[in-house]
Amino acid sequence: MRVSFSAAAALLSALQPLLASALATTAVTLAIPAQPHLPNPHALPPSTHATLSTLYATYSAPLSAANTFVFRNVTPGSYLADVHCATHAFAPLRVDVVASSAPEKLGMLSVQAWETYRGNDWDNKGEEAKEMALGGTAGSSVATATAALPVRCLAPKQYFMERSSFSVMSILKNPMILLAMVSMGIFFLMPKMVENMDPEMRAEFEEQQKNNPMASLMGGGGQQAANPMGNFDMAAFLAGSSNKKDEGGSAAAAPAGKGKK
Amino acid sequence: MHLPLSALSVLLALPAAVRAVFQDEVGHIDYHYELLGVPQRETTFFHRPRRQDKASLLYTLSDLGVLGAVNPSTSSVVWRQLLQGNITNGAGYLRAGEDATWVASAMGSSTQAWDAPTGRNLWSLDFDGRAKDLEIMELTESDHKDVLALYQEEGATVARRIHGTQGHVIWEFRAVNDDIPLQVSTNVEKVFVVSLHGSLLSYSLKVTVLDTLTGKRLDEINIGTKGEVQKPEDVMFVGANSAAPIVAWTDNAMTKLKVNVLGHKNKQEFPLVADTRSIEIHAPHHIQSQPHFLVQSRTKTANRADVFHVDLKTNAVTKAYDFPLLDGESAFSTSTAGTNVYFTRVTPDEVIVASSLSHGILGRWPLKGNDVNSGALHAVSEVIKKSENNYAVRSAVVTDTDDWVMIRNGEVAWTRPEGLTGAVAATWAEIPESEDLAKTLEAEAHSNPLEAYIHRVKRHVDDLQHLPSWLESIPVRLLSSILGSEGSAKDSTTLTKDSFGLNKLVVLVTKRGKMYGLDAGHQGRIVWSKSASETPSTLPWDVKSIHADDVKGLITVRGADGEYIIVKSDTGKTVDTMGPGLWPPVQSVAVVDSAAGPWLLPVGIDGKIAEVPLAYAPKQTVVVRAGNALKGITFQPQGEQAVEVPAWVFSPSGKQKIVHIATRSAHDPIASVGRVLGDRSVLYKYLNPNTLVVAAIDEGSSTMTHYLLDTVSGEVLTSSAHRGVDPNKDISCAISENWFACSFFGQYTVRDSDTQSVKGYQLSITDLYESDISNDRGPLGEALGDDANFSPVDPIEEPTGPVIPAAVSKTFMLSGPIKSLAVTQTRQGITSRQLLAFASDAHSITGIPRMVIDPRRVVGRDPTPAELEEGLSKYTALVDLDPRFMITHERDVIGVKEIIAAPANLESTSLIFAYGLDIFGTQMTPSLPFDILGKGFNKVTLIGTVLALTAGVMALGPMVRKKQINMRWYSS
Repeated sequence: MRVSFSAAAALLSALQPLLASALATTAVTLAIPAQPHLPNPHALPPSTHATLSTLYATYSAPLSAANTFVFRNVTPGSYLADVHCATHAFAPLRVDVVASSAPEKLGMLSVQAWETYRGNDWDNKGEEAKEMALGGTAGSSVATATAALPVRCLAPKQYFMERSSFSVMSILKNPMILLAMVSMGIFFLMPKMVENMDPEMRAEFEEQQKNNPMASLMGGGGQQAANPMGNFDMAAFLAGSSNKKDEGGSAAAAPAGKGKK
Repeated sequence: MHLPLSALSVLLALPAAVRAVFQDEVGHIDYHYELLGVPQRETTFFHRPRRQDKASLLYTLSDLGVLGAVNPSTSSVVWRQLLQGNITNGAGYLRAGEDATWVASAMGSSTQAWDAPTGRNLWSLDFDGRAKDLEIMELTESDHKDVLALYQEEGATVARRIHGTQGHVIWEFRAVNDDIPLQVSTNVEKVFVVSLHGSLLSYSLKVTVLDTLTGKRLDEINIGTKGEVQKPEDVMFVGANSAAPIVAWTDNAMTKLKVNVLGHKNKQEFPLVADTRSIEIHAPHHIQSQPHFLVQSRTKTANRADVFHVDLKTNAVTKAYDFPLLDGESAFSTSTAGTNVYFTRVTPDEVIVASSLSHGILGRWPLKGNDVNSGALHAVSEVIKKSENNYAVRSAVVTDTDDWVMIRNGEVAWTRPEGLTGAVAATWAEIPESEDLAKTLEAEAHSNPLEAYIHRVKRHVDDLQHLPSWLESIPVRLLSSILGSEGSAKDSTTLTKDSFGLNKLVVLVTKRGKMYGLDAGHQGRIVWSKSASETPSTLPWDVKSIHADDVKGLITVRGADGEYIIVKSDTGKTVDTMGPGLWPPVQSVAVVDSAAGPWLLPVGIDGKIAEVPLAYAPKQTVVVRAGNALKGITFQPQGEQAVEVPAWVFSPSGKQKIVHIATRSAHDPIASVGRVLGDRSVLYKYLNPNTLVVAAIDEGSSTMTHYLLDTVSGEVLTSSAHRGVDPNKDISCAISENWFACSFFGQYTVRDSDTQSVKGYQLSITDLYESDISNDRGPLGEALGDDANFSPVDPIEEPTGPVIPAAVSKTFMLSGPIKSLAVTQTRQGITSRQLLAFASDAHSITGIPRMVIDPRRVVGRDPTPAELEEGLSKYTALVDLDPRFMITHERDVIGVKEIIAAPANLESTSLIFAYGLDIFGTQMTPSLPFDILGKGFNKVTLIGTVLALTAGVMALGPMVRKKQINMRWYSS
């Protein structure tokens, strides 16, 4: 007897949401509060709208003047709530509309919402979105609802790629240019420094220079012409002296050879 | 597993190859017509959205269900809302109260109020039944205005008074009867519900008088019409929110106009001009305006109007004066200022403003410009009294070319091509070669070689006359190309082919029976527009096919009733046309190859094809849809004719209904037959041009199956089923190369675990390979080894089973619904492809790179170096519709029905065109613009760098020379 009673009770409680689902509908209100990524929700474009979707049902609501979305006549179910906005991205919500369990609200529907993660298990709920009281916005669009589920703004949307613009600094930062500048500096400054040295130092420096690989760069060619590129006289080439080409290596080597004497 | 990935981290994980639009390309590579649809007569008006502000906006609810506000001075859209979420066919109501900061709309089952300056929603209410009328109560007991909404339910007429700013129902009046509710109207004291009472063809008018405060029925007045009102459309006019609202109708022969002042029994009759074909009544909508109204009668060729006054005390209607009979169309409109009522007449030659009081003309402006020479259908006007005898008027006129034209004091201020909305079919067309040159070349080809040679030399000598002007143009062109102002230098009024193939035509057909030619190379400029009015039988025009013949430069459009029209693609000139009903109804049209060349084969209802002459017998198998099945049809000769022989029939199993069929585009080149893996082995693609994808859904069990069919043998090559698919939401597929994709809304438990379930919009994508092992061609390989002739209907020798491709499939979750799938096309198919789709909730068109939705992405582990080299990343269930994927970027594009792509001559570039409600077109480079210098290539910088280097060399040269000489002389 006892068993059958509890079974009947279970049956009743199972039927209840079914009955409710057949009859009752409720209103679901989402709201966009001001938040760090979105200090002024009143600036959102009027094309902003929200949808509640589940199998066989879709509800859509436009953005109201009070920054809310009001869905009317929502039947019980578990809905995916999305806010579609051209300027900002919003976190999706899971909105459950179920028959209220509280005895005083028997037969009424209650609404609960959590953040949800796309591409994850539907039961993997995030933080619950607690209903917030709608501020006393007089003449608000919401005639019946007094509380709304807040929607979190993720970030402003970025549609465009930045085009790298031309700037002198970006050229100067280029390592090739830096190298060229340094060698240019040496090219100009070294002779002056050498001139200012006292004769002994100068002699010593020149002796050093003969063994220095930099000599090939500065003097136009070095004595070790191991590879053909080593022979290449950059400065002479830039100077555009055409006969240099014919003389090639010998001419380049000559000054260095002379320098030895 | 349950990693709460935020959307941003997924965005970061995406490959860097995603190419978004650059800000400076906006308006150069893309174009967008932000449209509303053709404004409807009753739902268009000027309205001041802010009480303190003098400026007014132009509000309209268009024939496609778009509610929008347009700035009357610039023609730009201030805001717009697609009321029902998709395109609707006419109807809808829109009203605004004088000085109210909101407008109210009613459409379908919902009544809504919108903030007039911003377009935000104030309130939305949904009721049972359908909205039949909407009216504003200007004077209420409190300080706000209220809304009266009239609904028709099954067997009941319901009128409601709704609080104007808060949106709750104040009272509801319900009359349970079978009357047809017509309109609701109000004067200061009472609310009138006008409905048709009786049975079809003999209605009488019933006016129910309601109390404004409680909605209680006060009185009911029946007005006999003696069978003159046979259907709701016969009642010409009801209401006007003036002090004396009226109802008017005519007798069947249109000889007399009958007018009744609402709330009274007597009706008055007025004679109409002979041969009247239609009448229209214009009256002010404001309660303080004088109770005057205007009756416009149109005959076949001319039109006139009579102005009537209603005496508020006696309720007598008297004729005051008339506007003379004028040839052609003209549009009348009403505007009010305080109690004054002005009537504006826009004729083909001039704009006339008169007061409602007397026939004296207050202002007359001759029309300048030829833009409005097409007939004005209806208009709204705003008359401003500048001084005692000086008036200014601006009228927004809807013309019979579906344009919306603003005429300001006789001058055309702007034109909005609203006719481009409601497009039902579009195609790309090449700009035809200049006809003379083509003819000359043809002549040369057919004459004897010597003559041809002489002719050609002559032609070239003649061409020399263009040389000086060409030489003259060089410096200008050089300068403009350096400064990057090429676009502006071009002459954009002529149609010319360009070497990059970016200049192409798009020919568009709308459901209103209009055709447009757009120049895709010049921001979608309208090259020509015409009405195919002689061809479509019914509106909306049910277009079954549009086909461009680029060789002849002709466009063929075929309608459902067998009608067709052939026009020239560059001018829109009609070449040939056939009215409806002369040919059998058409279900679809197929381009087929025959001995006599390619032609358009019309397919009748249920896939029936009549006999065709032998020379025109299609060589291919023609796939037709017959109800819920697909049929493959071949043709066999029988005497002089070829008769259809069914080759195969495919019908989806069980209770499945075919919801979408995706076919390959005609241009689908394949650059590589295989896919090179990381270890340099090759996975051969299954490349069968004769395949199509069918998506079928069983609504009972909500299981969707998509089949890949071989169209030659009718064999199902692969199929996959998805459970928990919503049949009410968009299901769309696309097929290209060796893959196909389908989008749908799914909600189901994941197969390998009972506890996990998913819900959301999804995209499934399948790759087809000849074998799932690399360097292997499967059974095909053996067949190809023996003899290269493989046929799907004549399977390979010693079959080990039918040649079934190896399918790799993945399903991704999307962050929103997508529909109208399409694939980018390039000339040779070397460029990687992108899946194009209309993100209907984001109001954007998205281009998802193939790489992101690659079915070979590895699941559950990180990719190995070899897989990384192949370009595979780890599978994540979510594919976020990144804003940078959006080829429409910040533009708000709504109501896209289809996206079509075409290749340019540049391999990197694909031309995209989307139509439906808005028109959007762009150029896409899915693999970056590798064969063209874009805007990022700064010619000034390049030249500057070269000059700087030259200067450096010039400066350094002497120094180096001096140094070298010095070195030789001094060092020794």
